[in-house]
Amino acid sequence: MLSAIRRRALQQAERSRRWVVDRFGLGPVWRHFLDRRVAKGSWYYGDGATLLTLLGVMVATGALMTLTYSPSPDTAFDSVVAITREQPLGNFIRGLHYWTAGLMVVMLFSHLFRILLVGGYKSPREGTYYVGVGMFVLVLTMAFTGYVLRWDTRAMYAIRVVLHMFNRVPLLGDELAIIVQGGTEIGARTLSRFFSVHVVMIPLLLLALAGWHLYLVVLHGTTSLRERREPVPSAEAQRRLYDEQKHSDKYGEMFFPETTAKSGGMALVVFLVAVALAVILGPPLPNPEANLVETVFPMEEWWYAWYSTMIALLPPWLAVPIVVLLPLFVLGFLLLLPLLDRSPWRGVRKRPIFSGAIVVTAALLVVLSEIRIQSPWTGWPREQPPTVPPGIELTELAERGRQLFADKGCTSCHAVAGDGRKVGPDFARSDERLSRKEIREFVLEPERGTPMPAYEGRLTDAELGALVEYVLVAQTFEREQR
Amino acid sequence: MERRKLLIGFVQGIGVVTAGVLGIPALIFGIAPALERRKEWWQPVGPLASFPVGPVTRAVVPVPRGDEASALREKAVFVWRPTAAETVVYSRNCTDLSCPVNWDPGSEWFFCPCHGGIFDKEGNPRAGPPSRPLYRYANRIRDDILEIDLLSLPPMT
Repeated sequence: MLSAIRRRALQQAERSRRWVVDRFGLGPVWRHFLDRRVAKGSWYYGDGATLLTLLGVMVATGALMTLTYSPSPDTAFDSVVAITREQPLGNFIRGLHYWTAGLMVVMLFSHLFRILLVGGYKSPREGTYYVGVGMFVLVLTMAFTGYVLRWDTRAMYAIRVVLHMFNRVPLLGDELAIIVQGGTEIGARTLSRFFSVHVVMIPLLLLALAGWHLYLVVLHGTTSLRERREPVPSAEAQRRLYDEQKHSDKYGEMFFPETTAKSGGMALVVFLVAVALAVILGPPLPNPEANLVETVFPMEEWWYAWYSTMIALLPPWLAVPIVVLLPLFVLGFLLLLPLLDRSPWRGVRKRPIFSGAIVVTAALLVVLSEIRIQSPWTGWPREQPPTVPPGIELTELAERGRQLFADKGCTSCHAVAGDGRKVGPDFARSDERLSRKEIREFVLEPERGTPMPAYEGRLTDAELGALVEYVLVAQTFEREQR
Repeated sequence: MERRKLLIGFVQGIGVVTAGVLGIPALIFGIAPALERRKEWWQPVGPLASFPVGPVTRAVVPVPRGDEASALREKAVFVWRPTAAETVVYSRNCTDLSCPVNWDPGSEWFFCPCHGGIFDKEGNPRAGPPSRPLYRYANRIRDDILEIDLLSLPPMT
């Protein structure tokens, strides 16, 4: 009796399931998307699914923040503070948005480099690749427009830096900057424009492109293992090789659940890293509210640090074109690559020079970012003089010189025993020790081409004597003090 | 077959008309700020007498406006009078990428916090990426008040 009821319930449930599958058109989705054989890839092919997952997290956390965020210049900053400090779980949601954004930029670059390494742009996947390049540009734009919405001092100067880049465009420079800024001065319309671009326009485009990218990945597959080892001269040859592999036991697998388990696992790990960072570190503390009056020390977000280093370290004649032309050059390279590289070889081994260049570029990005943290090129006023290393007592004259070292702005560029800015040489354990006379002359009239002000006429004899005395003593200090 | 061609042309026409009717106004709407430009915008920096001859002084200029951006209704500039007859008003923008330079009274140089741009008192670049001297606002003295034209420099200053 009971089993009969149970059987009838199960039949009813099965009928309902079929009804849903039929009426909502899920059958074709199952057959063409999930329940199919594909050629195997490597474990790190999960980077695409990871990016898709992170995009979903960005959409969800971003949409949530618009419930509280106020895109008006008088209230924007306060609303960000309210999300971070007052709203229950606001700190977590904003932190997750922030760290997911950073990880997304990292994953975006590694996905691009990986695609270049395995030859993922080669036939017949050029379309997949081009849609991906479009998303690359859009995500990088999102990773910039996002931190403008905080409307703090960092946002002010982020806007100005980007306006300055637009302003460098010949002939239309002023007009472009005004169009982006929404007027001749930064204001309410500037915020509206960045809000619109970050929250409405790019997300719509990005979701559309992500769908298209995914459709093309299903249609053309991912670069299979044998494609990376054997020459593949044409799209037709690729299709034959791919079909052969997906039906074999060794080179093929079911997309669901085998491929999805691997890529989903990778996505989960990266997502959990974002969650951990959001919980442990949280979102960055807000800088002072946007204004154009206070003395500020703005910085880009860490995922753009490498770009800053490049601007700072390149010689001036190169830095100016680089600012405007490098993004265009990189984009041009990415767009032309599938048209220029027609060799039948994919993968790393048969293309050592190309692969080497990609790996070097990736390493360079990390090194440049690391240098940005030090920023040895930045001079900045500082009131306190360098500390005296322990165990050393200065004479009265040298002590007066140490005070003057700060008062006269020497500390703005020079460190002593590691304490201070690194623009000019650190005097402690200097490689070439200067005599009293040499220091004196250099201070009054620095060698031509040295970026140091001449102090001729700005110091009394007594002041100069004290300063020189201090530098002389400082030359004997140990280089690093603990 | 004639009918089919006609219909195809009709469908394509619908697309072109819709895109044009929507696209052209969209373009004009988007670039509107560039079409409504003023020529000059003079604002007071302060009484000339409040800026001593010799040192560089930081000053705050009002930027009156209709919208609600109250925190942005003023901006800082640097005033320098090399002689009693001559007045220079620098924008805070570094000429490399518009980060805000800071005046260091000790070394008497301007420092940019971003990429190592350093300028001397005359505004000449002395270190880092900048190749152009600091921006100078057009200025005039009216009834002993120093005024600058906010629109005499590029829009991001």
